[in-house]
Amino acid sequence: MAVGHGDSSSSDKKPTDALNDLQTFNAENLQSNMKVIYYSRTFLSIIGGVIAGILGFNGVIGIVFYFLVMAVTSAALAAKAKFSVHSYFDSWNRILLDGFFGGLMSFVLFWTFAYDIVHIF
Amino acid sequence: MAEDLVLDTAIRDWVLIPLSIVMVLIGVLRYFVSKLMRSTQVPDGKIVKEGQVIVRARNLRAAANFIPAKSFRARRAYFSNEENGLLHVPKGQAQNPQAQMFSDPNMAMDMMKKNLSMIIPQTLTFAWVNFFFSGFVAAKIPFPLTQRFRSMLQNGIDLSTVDVSYVSSRSWYFLNLFGLRGLFSLILGEDNATDDAQRMMQMSGFGFDPTKNLGAEKDGLDIVQHEWALPKFEQRAEAVLRKLVS
Repeated sequence: MAVGHGDSSSSDKKPTDALNDLQTFNAENLQSNMKVIYYSRTFLSIIGGVIAGILGFNGVIGIVFYFLVMAVTSAALAAKAKFSVHSYFDSWNRILLDGFFGGLMSFVLFWTFAYDIVHIF
Repeated sequence: MAEDLVLDTAIRDWVLIPLSIVMVLIGVLRYFVSKLMRSTQVPDGKIVKEGQVIVRARNLRAAANFIPAKSFRARRAYFSNEENGLLHVPKGQAQNPQAQMFSDPNMAMDMMKKNLSMIIPQTLTFAWVNFFFSGFVAAKIPFPLTQRFRSMLQNGIDLSTVDVSYVSSRSWYFLNLFGLRGLFSLILGEDNATDDAQRMMQMSGFGFDPTKNLGAEKDGLDIVQHEWALPKFEQRAEAVLRKLVS
């Protein structure tokens, strides 16, 4: 709460200074953080696909499971960043929404694979 | 109709798993081949110099508010001066079309090599799948799709009463094609040639880099309004300390 208030007051008086504050992100580190997010999501969507297949999810429940896995990923990433998202990324949307649907195809592939191997063997 | 077809175990062993393994191996092979075939392009000195100038100008733009007004203006004049400024080359020189023509053979060859290295394995694998693995049910996808997908997913199977979830091996090939991209990005690192969209962006972005960016950087530098941050540092420090204390 205090952090937000402080930021808004300084941004009212000195817009360029606030811009300076926000722009001083090391681009390479930011990019490497984004890659970490991407890898985590891909890996977890593959694992989630295998789990969904083994448990025999059918149809809509599987898609719901995918969203559940993605939400758990987002929560885990936020917890890893100790919830001070602004010191690692430039906005909340990066952690929460970026690459949400990127892992969908891998999830479906491994879901189909595991489901077939286990249940229609 | 929810009857469960009982599918032969041999299909699992001899269709699904080999197809997946083959696609993974082909992807890995293509990665190494493209790495080996990448022509060791000696970077042109002029282009590298221009790139570095652009980076310097960009840094100046980004950190403009940390230096006094006079030194910022001096630096800006160094870059965008009409006669000998580093960024002001576009109008007079015929360097731009020349740069494009020069980079064209190399870049065109690279693009063609990458295109071929993507298309040929895909085509070959598709033909192989069609030849060997057609005419039977290969897998069951765990979620239901409408009847419209039937013709797309079930082309070898000529029975119309079979549930749409039971698909032919062609659709297993396509599913693998899209789904293994994530796996490749994990095992091969970032620079793998399997992502079409990334490749297109890379190719189209690099061709224009030396020529148009100079003018763009100059415009950007001219636009910057300098506001020296030093006089206000004390107030900013006070604000930050307040935040920390409260």
